[in-house]
Amino acid sequence: MSAPEVVRVSAPTPPSSPDPSVTTPPALSLTGVTKSFGPVHALKGVSLQLGRGEVLGLIGENGAGKSTLLKVLSGVHEPDSGALEVNGKPVRLRSPEDAARAGVGIVHQEQSLLTNLSVAENIAMTSGSRAKAATRFGVYRWGHLNRVAAQVLARIGVDVDPRTTVGDLSFVDRQMVEIARALQVDTGAHASPVLILDEPTSLLERDETAVLEREIRSLREIGSVVFVSHRLDEVLRICDRVVVMRHGEVVGDRRTSEVTEDELFRLMVGRDSRATPSERRSREDGGTAVLQVEGLTRGHAFRDVSFSVPAGTTTAIVGTNGSGREEVVRAVFGAEPFSSGSLRVAGKDVGSWSVASAVRAGVAYIPSERRVEGMVGGLSAAENLVLTHPGEAKKGPLLRPRARRRVAETWFEDLDVRPRQPELALERFSGGNQQKVVLAKWLSSPDLKVLVLDHPLRGLDPGASETVNAQIRAACARGTAVVLLPDTLEEALELGDEIIVMRDGEVTARFDTSRETPTALDLLEKMV
Amino acid sequence: MSTTTPATTPVGPAPAPSATGRARRGLPPGLWQAVGPAAVFVVLFAVTAALQPAILSGVGPINLTTQATAVLLVALGQAAVLHVGSIDLSNAAAAVLGAMVLALALGPLAAAAPLVTLLVMALVGAVNGVLVAFTQVPSFALTLGTLGVLQAASLVVSDNTTVYASANGEVVSWLFIQAFAGLPVAFWFAVVVAVLFWLVLRRTSLGQALTAVGLNETAAVFSGLRTRWLKVAAFSFSGVMAGAAGICIISQAGAASSFGLGSDLLLPGIAAALIGGTAITGGRTNPVGVVFGALTVALIPITATALGVTPQARSLVYGVVVIAAVALTASRAKGAVVK
Repeated sequence: MSAPEVVRVSAPTPPSSPDPSVTTPPALSLTGVTKSFGPVHALKGVSLQLGRGEVLGLIGENGAGKSTLLKVLSGVHEPDSGALEVNGKPVRLRSPEDAARAGVGIVHQEQSLLTNLSVAENIAMTSGSRAKAATRFGVYRWGHLNRVAAQVLARIGVDVDPRTTVGDLSFVDRQMVEIARALQVDTGAHASPVLILDEPTSLLERDETAVLEREIRSLREIGSVVFVSHRLDEVLRICDRVVVMRHGEVVGDRRTSEVTEDELFRLMVGRDSRATPSERRSREDGGTAVLQVEGLTRGHAFRDVSFSVPAGTTTAIVGTNGSGREEVVRAVFGAEPFSSGSLRVAGKDVGSWSVASAVRAGVAYIPSERRVEGMVGGLSAAENLVLTHPGEAKKGPLLRPRARRRVAETWFEDLDVRPRQPELALERFSGGNQQKVVLAKWLSSPDLKVLVLDHPLRGLDPGASETVNAQIRAACARGTAVVLLPDTLEEALELGDEIIVMRDGEVTARFDTSRETPTALDLLEKMV
Repeated sequence: MSTTTPATTPVGPAPAPSATGRARRGLPPGLWQAVGPAAVFVVLFAVTAALQPAILSGVGPINLTTQATAVLLVALGQAAVLHVGSIDLSNAAAAVLGAMVLALALGPLAAAAPLVTLLVMALVGAVNGVLVAFTQVPSFALTLGTLGVLQAASLVVSDNTTVYASANGEVVSWLFIQAFAGLPVAFWFAVVVAVLFWLVLRRTSLGQALTAVGLNETAAVFSGLRTRWLKVAAFSFSGVMAGAAGICIISQAGAASSFGLGSDLLLPGIAAALIGGTAITGGRTNPVGVVFGALTVALIPITATALGVTPQARSLVYGVVVIAAVALTASRAKGAVVK
């Protein structure tokens, strides 16, 4: 990759140099955009501009407001205040269709193609697609459809037969089809489309990424690109300019030719972000590890992952999407297989590992997909609470509803679950209160040894977060070994006695926070 | 025919109820689910009795419950399987095979024969369950396959003729001869099974686990429940119930054949389970409601006769009433996608 990196096909409009002689307005311009969700201010007055033919990088930590900004741009959320202009025209984007009509297309992080349909059909399915004309009275005119789709693909030089079923394509090809599809947005006669790519490389292999990078750079000839990524080296290679967000604000706007990775790191996490480890128990070397993971491996998902968690300590695992950390902790809980390596809980090698045997060995797991994996929404909160460890709510094979109610009421009181109605179906509680019940379900185990937390605070309001955090600390203080996948690096620095960094399925660094005090920067460096 | 409940499509001012508009806004939540199946049966029975008062007296109720017993048994098994989110299309074929096993076993085993039948059919159900749980073949496809296998087994066992219970018929024949409170003992047995099933679902940890599997299998797995074995249990119960239905067939007819009594239990069994308020998506079952579902299913042909419907049009009435009854009583989440 030593070829001249930044070849500008058309010079991007500099962000703040209005040139009256050239009347080309920026492709996209945001002024003072704010968006709040209840008490959470996701965007606090964001202003930015995207020049014609420019590739703009957008970076920031989880929760910095990137996703909200993308949702505003793609018409999913309407901003509370602020102005949006596309190609110089003020627009209101109230739906993804509006966005498409205005010339803004988005490629989401999770691929949204229908894998059972052909490439051409997927392309025809976007709003604003010219391929729409390929139906007559609702009946496909296949020849026409495939021709239009081929043109759409050819526009960005993708070599894929439009008749191929999407499920048969490689991941990177699918990504290219997504881009081609998103680029069909109606751009009128003179304007150029704006394409938003939300972490398009996070799930790609390295060599596939190179293909995509080349494509993105060539997109300059057609339109402008907003490129969201966690991989800073990539951002510097691909983009002309990069905007850094933190806490809902733009904290930096740099030309990539004039900025270093280090500076971007610092902008992202904030200069003063230094861990403040509260009273930490030192990980005395003689302490017995409750959970020992050795050389855990499964194909490309994760390789040779080892760590051990002594009683009463927390190991935080950080990494970007696709780092394999989710898969690792799910393997620890028996919910996903592993091909080699070993797992020991309380010194005992677990034989054939399944969720049921993990639970009996004293392992608990709070999944990030709470509604799908963590709770049976149709059962009452009380029933969910005693589902795994019935305790006194069960006598022989018989349930004791009154005892169950008592148990639930105690937990409801302890964790301040509202409303105080344990007999209500759990699906009718708010997310934070559901999470408290899910946590209580595991904490009520008489023999809790390992607590695996997959983004336990995701989507929780500050109050619920505090309660959940306090309970996790308390469990830890009682001698439970905690494995934490935190939402933010701050959370890892605050709670982790050991912090493990993963990238592409491998452990790239480990920090013992009783001996050293890493910064968010140190962690990020190993993540990307 | 409905008198209690208006049609589900809102007439008049459109805005309020819309798509999910259940017509029972006035009732407290859960009440209709509890009493709906009984109400549907009572209304249908009242209509029939008004047209044909004879069914109230003499052999009317006996005929009705006799017809309903085998349907109720397979419907209870079906309800258990639906409860864990699967379906058992093989249970009627299993009932016929069970009847043949019983007919053949009665001679040599006498009083032990019914027990052996139930055990064999439990095994058949367990095989279904193991295959569904461990091969991940969808139960619809898998039990469609075992339906064929069991039918073939019946043909082989019977040598494509009728198998007669040549000896010891009295071991089972009393089930429909003896009466309690004016109704055959066999029917009461089935009702007792329904009540026990209800107790298991509502009062035991096994029942709670089955419910959890039906409502959200992934979460059940992630709660450490042995979901596969719970499915095996549900299918085994369905097998036992099919065996019980087979016993009823021999008790009533003294013989079994691939085309005789009991060979058409599959759809009535499913209909009875659904009219009984069982959610086809799993996790919501009221076995006591299924009793009324089975009674309704057994009553429909009688009602059709009372209405003077020609024999050719009877299955039309049957179909219409089943759809209407399921629409009224089936349990489904608000706005949920129903397949």
